[in-house]
Amino acid sequence: MMEPYAIAAGAFGAAMLVFTTYELLRRRMSLLGYFFWAILWSALILVGIVPQFYSTLLLATQALGMYTPLHFVTTFSILILFAVVYYLGKRIAELDDRLSTIVQHIALQNANITAVNPEKGKEKPLEPKSSS
Amino acid sequence: MRVACIIPAFNEESTIANIVQGALKHCDSVIVVDDHSQDSTPEVSQRAGARVATHILRLGTGAALLTGFRIALGTDAEAFVTIDGDGQHDPREIPILLQPIQDREADIVIGSRFLGRHDSMPLHKWIGNKFLSIAASLASGVRVLDSQSGFRSYRRSVLDYVMHTQRDYGWASEILILAARGNFRIKEVPVRTIYLVRRRRGAGIKDGFKILYSTIRPKSMAQPTVTESER
Repeated sequence: MMEPYAIAAGAFGAAMLVFTTYELLRRRMSLLGYFFWAILWSALILVGIVPQFYSTLLLATQALGMYTPLHFVTTFSILILFAVVYYLGKRIAELDDRLSTIVQHIALQNANITAVNPEKGKEKPLEPKSSS
Repeated sequence: MRVACIIPAFNEESTIANIVQGALKHCDSVIVVDDHSQDSTPEVSQRAGARVATHILRLGTGAALLTGFRIALGTDAEAFVTIDGDGQHDPREIPILLQPIQDREADIVIGSRFLGRHDSMPLHKWIGNKFLSIAASLASGVRVLDSQSGFRSYRRSVLDYVMHTQRDYGWASEILILAARGNFRIKEVPVRTIYLVRRRRGAGIKDGFKILYSTIRPKSMAQPTVTESER
């Protein structure tokens, strides 16, 4: 008999897998991103349907000198999350730079160049420099 | 000497017209870079006679100045003046900033709030500015009393060689450090500062730390050197 947590994990994993597939079909997600999430949701479903799967991690756990599979899962989950946060931070900084460039480019394109100086009437208004 | 004035502005509708009109008495062209104001700063600036460029998102003072410099470099101006849009500086003092450039005594002239009357400067700003000026002096190798002043003039050759990259208040120290590396001459002249109690804005403590960080570690760039004839 399946435990309630296993049903919840399996159902959640299945719902997310369907949603992720839907996002891929609507071309809102890259194929690489889809594979990453599909593997993650599939593992969650697997843990729900076959809880014994969790204990197969024992081999990896023992090889790394950890006491239980739980140590293995939590440690590596945190490490992966740190890596994701680092990558996202880097990506946001890059996008921020690009956004800044675009905003400045638009400002330069739309700059009003018709205003002249009414005070210094005798002098020629500044002209844009010729490109030659 | 043909002069272009650049004013970065954010929500300055109450003061910008006077600044623009005041600057136009001494400059051939005034460029206001509106950093995504929520009020009528761009319209007021344009009516006052300025050329207006608008950021569709708020990027910061440094980015607004960068946009202004790029527009100004596209003109035939030989010198550039930057002035804050909040009424902190008096445009009637622009000639004081331009004189050393005209006399070929300096390539960058800083309107120093510490050489002039600064008794109205809030204490925390006084301490912060002093500290950041010491850091900028150490980083640039040139003694600067007011590294954060936005009231400055530049010879065209300076901006042809160096340009800051910081989008926020860090631009003020960065451009001095880069200019000092390029052997450009920096001079300070006394200017008055008007601090209006109801309009106290500008860099805060968090900005101060960011400026300090960028001062200690400015982005590396090729060190330009200029000859006397290029100045």
